[in-house]
Amino acid sequence: MPEIKVTPLGAGQDVGRSCILVSIAGKNVMLDCGMHMGYNDDRRFPDFSYITQNGRLTDFLDCVIISHFHLDHCGALPYFSEMVGYDGPIYMTHPTKAICPILLEDYRKITVDKKGETNFFTSQMIKDCMKKVVAVHLHQTVQVDEELEIKAYYAGHVLGAAMFQIKVGCESVVYTGDYNMTPDRHLGAAWIDKCRPDLLISESTYATTIRDSKRCRERDFLKKVHETVERGGKVLIPVFALGRAQELCILLETFWERMNLKAPIYFSTGLTEKANHYYKLFITWTNQKIRKTFVQRNMFEFKHIKAFDRAFADNPGPMVVFATPGMLHAGQSLQIFRKWAGNEKNMVIMPGYCVQGTVGHKILSGQRKLEMEGRQILEVKMQVEYMSFSAHADAKGIMQLIRQAEPRNVLLVHGEAKKMEFLKQKIEQEFHVNCYMPANGETTTIFTNPSIPVDISLGLLKRETAIGLLPDAKKPKLMHGTLIMKDNSFRLVSPEQALKELGLAEHQLRFTCRVHIQDPRKEHETVLRVYNHLKGVLKDYSVQHLPDGSITVESILIQATAHSEDQGTKVLLVSWTYQDEELGSYLTSLLKKGLPQSTA
Amino acid sequence: YGDLHTFELQAPTRLIEWARGNRVCVAGYGQSGGNEILQLLPPPSLQVKETQGLCPERDFKVECGGFSNRPVYSLKYVPDTSLLVTSGPPDSSLQVWQVSAEDSDVIKPVSAIPTESDTGQSWAKIATISARAPWVLHGSRLNSVQITEVESRKNIYMAAARNSEELSGLAFLDCNTLLLCSAKGQLCLADIRQPQSPLEAASVPSAPCGERWCMGVGRGPQGSDSSPRPVARLSSGGHLTLTDVRKISESLASAKCRVPSPSSGAEFLCVSWAPALESCLAVSGFDGTVHVYDAQSWDGSGREAEPIFVHKGHAFGGSDSSGGPPSVTTHTWHPQKARTLLSAASDGSLHVWDWVQPGGNC
Repeated sequence: MPEIKVTPLGAGQDVGRSCILVSIAGKNVMLDCGMHMGYNDDRRFPDFSYITQNGRLTDFLDCVIISHFHLDHCGALPYFSEMVGYDGPIYMTHPTKAICPILLEDYRKITVDKKGETNFFTSQMIKDCMKKVVAVHLHQTVQVDEELEIKAYYAGHVLGAAMFQIKVGCESVVYTGDYNMTPDRHLGAAWIDKCRPDLLISESTYATTIRDSKRCRERDFLKKVHETVERGGKVLIPVFALGRAQELCILLETFWERMNLKAPIYFSTGLTEKANHYYKLFITWTNQKIRKTFVQRNMFEFKHIKAFDRAFADNPGPMVVFATPGMLHAGQSLQIFRKWAGNEKNMVIMPGYCVQGTVGHKILSGQRKLEMEGRQILEVKMQVEYMSFSAHADAKGIMQLIRQAEPRNVLLVHGEAKKMEFLKQKIEQEFHVNCYMPANGETTTIFTNPSIPVDISLGLLKRETAIGLLPDAKKPKLMHGTLIMKDNSFRLVSPEQALKELGLAEHQLRFTCRVHIQDPRKEHETVLRVYNHLKGVLKDYSVQHLPDGSITVESILIQATAHSEDQGTKVLLVSWTYQDEELGSYLTSLLKKGLPQSTA
Repeated sequence: YGDLHTFELQAPTRLIEWARGNRVCVAGYGQSGGNEILQLLPPPSLQVKETQGLCPERDFKVECGGFSNRPVYSLKYVPDTSLLVTSGPPDSSLQVWQVSAEDSDVIKPVSAIPTESDTGQSWAKIATISARAPWVLHGSRLNSVQITEVESRKNIYMAAARNSEELSGLAFLDCNTLLLCSAKGQLCLADIRQPQSPLEAASVPSAPCGERWCMGVGRGPQGSDSSPRPVARLSSGGHLTLTDVRKISESLASAKCRVPSPSSGAEFLCVSWAPALESCLAVSGFDGTVHVYDAQSWDGSGREAEPIFVHKGHAFGGSDSSGGPPSVTTHTWHPQKARTLLSAASDGSLHVWDWVQPGGNC
């Protein structure tokens, strides 16, 4: 049976690095290439030695697909392509291609410059890696080679995140990456058509979560900001470029308007050069409703939000500042943080995950004394808050996606085995499909049932339709013929034609069976008895009594002779060809039961 | 409000039960099968004393779940075991389940406790205790009240009641005493050491006939020496009566709460005492609100009482499956946090809220 093989090299049953190998109809595809953020040693990279022990991976993989720019999905990409070695195509959406290198470079800086690691990829490697990237549009079918094609679908979650369909012939796999089924302020919900893939690979991180409503989180965020500003404190919100930052800006702007607040809100302009470029990327990636909002309010045309100048950080009085980078590891946000950290009236709100080693991560873990450059100790007295708006699908969302795509099998990644049993049963019960949960390094084999098109000869077609009833378009029709496989073509022809083409002579197989009957009369009387008996029983068949004393039932021959030693016993010879096996056996057992006493 | 969190369950629930470790259990009550029993781990913010605003973990986690073909109308954990018991239409039999959160996250059906079939679509009300052994008290009518040992399914006690009125609630007052409440509002006490003696009953003071009643039994905070709380009875017309279990034929106090008309019927009537507050009780089931009352000021007159707090959150939700505005199906108090309640409604919403006493203390 043809099969699809899936091996997670990461995100089998843990949350960390995502890297999944799929083998479909002879093609090998790698889905995501993430870094595990919790480890500092080689465990943070996926184990590529599974693919090959030595040498470059180009020959073993047909392509690599990256779903979105989060480091646990693309963090190991430069290591993989430049240090292990891969020169084939890497596919991702346009926003992902634009944002990935920035995050990778940031990450490299933290790891090498701040933490002093050596076995890590360089800036040049990131650049070389990105040269291998082919950007794709949503719903655009991309031919990787003659047989393998891929298509990206909108996944929500973050800017540029996509779900990918990988198709070879009529076998297909859909990989969701991280996705979200409820729209938020700046991103729509994931969507896929009823593509009925053989396998759907879905993340299940939040499958066991029932999320607090967005409005409550937003309300609490505004409350915190308001309280701080009311007592004269300053609020620092480190953000990354685009995405959540816009959402929070709109939120604050509306709140300021409603409450008639006067404290200034600033947005760091460290990005203005690239801002327009990102802005354009961003606009095409959101849905219609959000696009309209942005057309009316350009990012830099907020009434209450102004561009930031470094000097403002020293101004007295309350204010709110959005500054980059998001993890407080360098640049403007770190500078502002250092100025404001000592005052307990101030607050810093971290809007997302921070990589280990960054100031953001340290303060979220509770550290209040930080060592800065030059051995300076910074005491953090300001309030530290964490707020996560990141969107993943919960159990309801996963069920929705399965309902949309209608896969034949489901495979779950990103969750813990014991905690996914309930979801597995839920999926199996509702959709009657198999649900798999492999661990890292464990290969799951999915058997598919592909349809293989076969040419049928005209003669055979005509013959088969002449026999049976009119063809019913909805019911499959069973046909008999011979399948000839030559080169890459399949043909169905009649046996006679096949023999002719192959230059073979037809062999006939004939069976003969002897049945003993007790009958003292003469042979021709016995034959008559048999004939009448069979004619009575086999009303639908053609039973004939031939002049030479033999009986035929269809093409089966029956002859009677006297037993050599015992005149009272007659021997019936029943002879049939291989094609009439069924009727022949039936006749034999019928005759063995004996003849009825009374005969005509 | 001190705090408010709103959540949405995939299917509405009409029960919220507390389990070990502050876990919460909800279950679906759809008629067409495929109902889920979910044991939820509340977010850490509900487990610590002070509420934190922007706590990183704000979500409920589904710790384990099970599937039930029947609608689940009532669920009780069996103390000191890893079992729970459910009941629901179409009959009054009980289903026993095993929760084993370490090995797997599936709540497995273990056995069923059958009962004699009853007329009509009745379902058993249940209460559990593990004094001498894990027992479940159950029944759908006054004359079908019995105690069954959960693991052996042996019948321990059978109430000798003469009438077959429908039951609306039952409870263990201690390991020997039962309190039963019929749908007509009649309270009965029974001692399981004397199974033959008929139940001592007290009827409801001057309330119009035709109303349905339910009861709420209060327990003080664990380990407290305070005298047992009175039993509160709530009717579908909004009448509230407080009765001391030691003098069951008298009523201590009564009041009336404002009932919207038309009210949504008596199916989800619920009244409960606050475990950590003196004389506060909560009432729900008439519409999409939960009312909190202070019963200290009540007397015997039965006049209308003003709630000290009204939670209206559920009324602003979407519509429920029948297309109408959502009704609150159940509510419960947090065992430790004095003013925190959880409430669920027919549109699947689950709210966790902390109310602030306007002025004075409660």
